[in-house]
Amino acid sequence: MSKRTPVTVLTGFLGAGKTTLMNRVLNEQHGQRIAVIENEFGEIGIDHELVINADEEIFEMNNGCICCTVRGDLIRIMGSLMKRKDQFDHILVETTGLADPGPVVQTFFVDDDMKEKLAVNAVVTLVDAKHIWEHIDDADEAKEQIAFADVILLNKCDLVSPADLDRLEARIKAMNGVAKIHRTINAEVEISKILEVGGFNLEHAIGVDPKFLEPEYPFEWGGNFQLPAGSAELVATQNPDPSMKLVFLPVSSGTEEDLAKAREQAVRIFSSLEVTEAAPGVAVSCDAQLHELMLTEGEMRWPLTVPETGYYAAFTEHYPEELDLKVIVSGSEVLAAPAAAYKPDHEHDEEVTSVGIEESADCDGQKLNAWLSALLRDKGTDIFRMKGVFSVRGNPNRTVFQGVHMLLDAQDGGPWGSRTRKNSLVFIGRNLDREELNSSFRKCLA
Amino acid sequence: MEMDDYPLDLRWSADGLWLAALPSHGRILVLDEDGNILASLPGHEGGNGAISWHPRRAALATYGQDATVRIYEMPPQDPAAAFPFSKDHSGPPSPSPSLVIPLEKGWAERVTWNADGSLIAASAGRTVFVMNAATGAIEHRLSEHKSTVCDIAWNPRSPRELTSVCDGGARLWRVGETKPFGHFDWGGASLIVTWSPDGRWVVTGDQTPSVHLYDVRRKHPLHIQGYEFKVKTLAWEGNGEWLASGGSASITVWPCTGKKGPEGAKPIQLFGHLKEVLALDFTRGDSVLVSGGRDGLLLLWMPHRSTDPALITRRASEITTLRWSPDSSSLAFATADGDLTLCRISKK
Repeated sequence: MSKRTPVTVLTGFLGAGKTTLMNRVLNEQHGQRIAVIENEFGEIGIDHELVINADEEIFEMNNGCICCTVRGDLIRIMGSLMKRKDQFDHILVETTGLADPGPVVQTFFVDDDMKEKLAVNAVVTLVDAKHIWEHIDDADEAKEQIAFADVILLNKCDLVSPADLDRLEARIKAMNGVAKIHRTINAEVEISKILEVGGFNLEHAIGVDPKFLEPEYPFEWGGNFQLPAGSAELVATQNPDPSMKLVFLPVSSGTEEDLAKAREQAVRIFSSLEVTEAAPGVAVSCDAQLHELMLTEGEMRWPLTVPETGYYAAFTEHYPEELDLKVIVSGSEVLAAPAAAYKPDHEHDEEVTSVGIEESADCDGQKLNAWLSALLRDKGTDIFRMKGVFSVRGNPNRTVFQGVHMLLDAQDGGPWGSRTRKNSLVFIGRNLDREELNSSFRKCLA
Repeated sequence: MEMDDYPLDLRWSADGLWLAALPSHGRILVLDEDGNILASLPGHEGGNGAISWHPRRAALATYGQDATVRIYEMPPQDPAAAFPFSKDHSGPPSPSPSLVIPLEKGWAERVTWNADGSLIAASAGRTVFVMNAATGAIEHRLSEHKSTVCDIAWNPRSPRELTSVCDGGARLWRVGETKPFGHFDWGGASLIVTWSPDGRWVVTGDQTPSVHLYDVRRKHPLHIQGYEFKVKTLAWEGNGEWLASGGSASITVWPCTGKKGPEGAKPIQLFGHLKEVLALDFTRGDSVLVSGGRDGLLLLWMPHRSTDPALITRRASEITTLRWSPDSSSLAFATADGDLTLCRISKK
């Protein structure tokens, strides 16, 4: 097969900085000829020899399968581009803020002509670090854009505090564990980090982000409060969900070590079935009892009973900011120090998460094929992307799989060389059952 | 002979004296039957879309992404472009169009002259414009397409009926009416459309590997699956008795006669290509089929006598388009690297 032209897909909500990034990519001296396919609402102001407007038309499939849905406009435009003698080194596709990246990426997997001549270099998603919170919970497009990304730029970092950035990054990593995340201001990033991603590089992703395979927690946030004995108060004004679980438990000091110890205790408490429902007005105790705050409209207040002066670690199902939740003592807010964001396990069905699996034993090629085929056939709608490097028994080379919904592309990944043989795979999607994926994959081991 | 870029289409004028060669970008060439370049028409800015000859006269319509339809009369009347070669021998003449029709901007996929030469239809994005071929006046604007129009075809038996395809399927239009008189919505996207010479069938090649046939009079749809790739080429034999289809390395030829047409019938399958078949054409009189493929093979078939092909040539790059001359004496074909060949075929 002749060398395929790399395609980079740029996604992100309106105002996240796509056009800024695009201009940056085009104006930098990288010596590459780049064709740009801009969405129909693209801002004028891209000064480049070839900018084509696309209509973002979907080719629907008669069987209604979203996994086979492709972008007709891209097939037309790319088809025309590929018929030029003066070929481009790279093609950049900008989508509208509300575009579903699925059909865009699938176009390069499903359509025969596209598959032969083009290869996805990367899906690059720009995230407006300040405003993403307005969309991340509700807008499917925002979740999908994050889930499909190979590279995420947390842009406008100058408008957000470092703690909020950490929190955002933790949240994004929980959704997509393999994307490389760069923090940027004005979309300033080395161009090679956008244009030379090379499809996907799982090893690199795991290397860059060792937290990816870390355990998940039943809570998103933990923080240490120093509280006087007596009565304090919890105040919230937002209700992203009907309720939220939380626990306060005493710790001996305000150190990070103590918060980490308390975290393990909190995992056990969260897994217990004993939950005390607390409607606004009902007292919440600081004695390691799991409470479920019942959230209503408007301002909500819960008395907080503190048995003695000291340090108390709180663990909450959501970030306090999502509820605008504060601890108030004598009319003033008490801030948590230290505090930490955790990768949540997100039991709720609709959440987008990543599941990573790593096993050192070789797999059986036939079993692996059968497993992946069946899995993507049955769960393909919920699995946005799948990436894996496999060590297949009897094969001296690495086997690389990449999937988009139900579509799977297998390639020879070259010799293992000095690397340790192992299987590393990642699923990004909705309703993913971590244990089931782990146990069913283990059955593929030789 | 070298074309400026990837060859999109080759079309013979009705009298077979002129061959127009359309590359994806750059000059549109007009050749005589011996392969001499008689005119070099400027390409359309942003890329060429389509060409179409008048059904009786040597007038060529060209259309492209600059949203203009240009009509050239052959031989060129422009005195500045002396026929057949310019005086300074710097190259073939570049005549001026006799008519330029500006359209609205939109993806330009097809221009096509109707059966009596009075009307020209061109697709621009989601709209099909129908123009008076003599004056260029836009007479009708056919909308209601849910996505960009991928192809249009006139009914060879009725100069006022045409069909257009887009995502969703085919629409049948009668010029003068604002709503289509027929809808064949199958839910998916159709890429090409052809109307059988006898006017009975409208056939689409689809994005999902399939072919849809519509018996227009019976309003009866048929869906043929089992192709390997999206179907990019279809060719009629005779008056519409047989339909050859690509979409795989094999060619499938369907009988379209009888009350049911291909329904329940056994097609003729022709195996010989090693890769996807990209272009097909039947001779008008004696049903000789020529096929070109991604494998660079150009094969000749007489499907009613034998399923074995005759090899005409093998090229290093794929054969993108081919066309028999109206009297079947010449065959023009082009390869993806821009090479255009004109050959005389002896079918003995």
